[in-house]
Amino acid sequence: MSKYLAFEDYVLKDRRLLLAALADLGYAEVEEGAALPLYGYQGDRRPETAELVVRRRLLGSASNDVGFARTSAGYVPIVSEYDQRTLHGGRFLVELRTAYSERVIDEVRRRLHGTARRTVEGSVVKVTVRY
Amino acid sequence: MPEIEFTLDPTTGKLELHVKGIAGPACEDVAKLAAELLGAPDRERNTPEYHLRPRVQPQVRPTGNR
Repeated sequence: MSKYLAFEDYVLKDRRLLLAALADLGYAEVEEGAALPLYGYQGDRRPETAELVVRRRLLGSASNDVGFARTSAGYVPIVSEYDQRTLHGGRFLVELRTAYSERVIDEVRRRLHGTARRTVEGSVVKVTVRY
Repeated sequence: MPEIEFTLDPTTGKLELHVKGIAGPACEDVAKLAAELLGAPDRERNTPEYHLRPRVQPQVRPTGNR
């Protein structure tokens, strides 16, 4: 049985941008509620609860639910050890953070009524927002 | 023209931003917006430009007396 880990140092502050980032990764169907239960791959109920949940049927036959628990600092991902290794080739959290960052950049551009110019330099993406 | 340069590393998901062209603490407004969406930064440093005073143009009001 795998265990769940919470990443306290990895919070996603904005609910709307988090939902958009999850949709970017292909998870547009997200359950929302207060202290929703999380289930493991065998249908076993886990002790953790979360306010945003991607159900395991959308992830893979051996996957567990992925949750996001709301804290005063933001949303903390709750991802099983197994899913950390396997989802998106073991890059689920990195890809989610990247997608979230892209959404943040667009939100900043929108709020400042700015324009954006995007370039790729080696392995990094540079986006300049002018306003 | 003020600009914000974002540097995003898709191999780690790490995001950095550099605010340019804003003299003085007006930079803080952008920092607040970033903190609202990203949380407290791990590192924060003010560049020399931050310590410049914003230039204020003197305003001349027409008095109506000629």
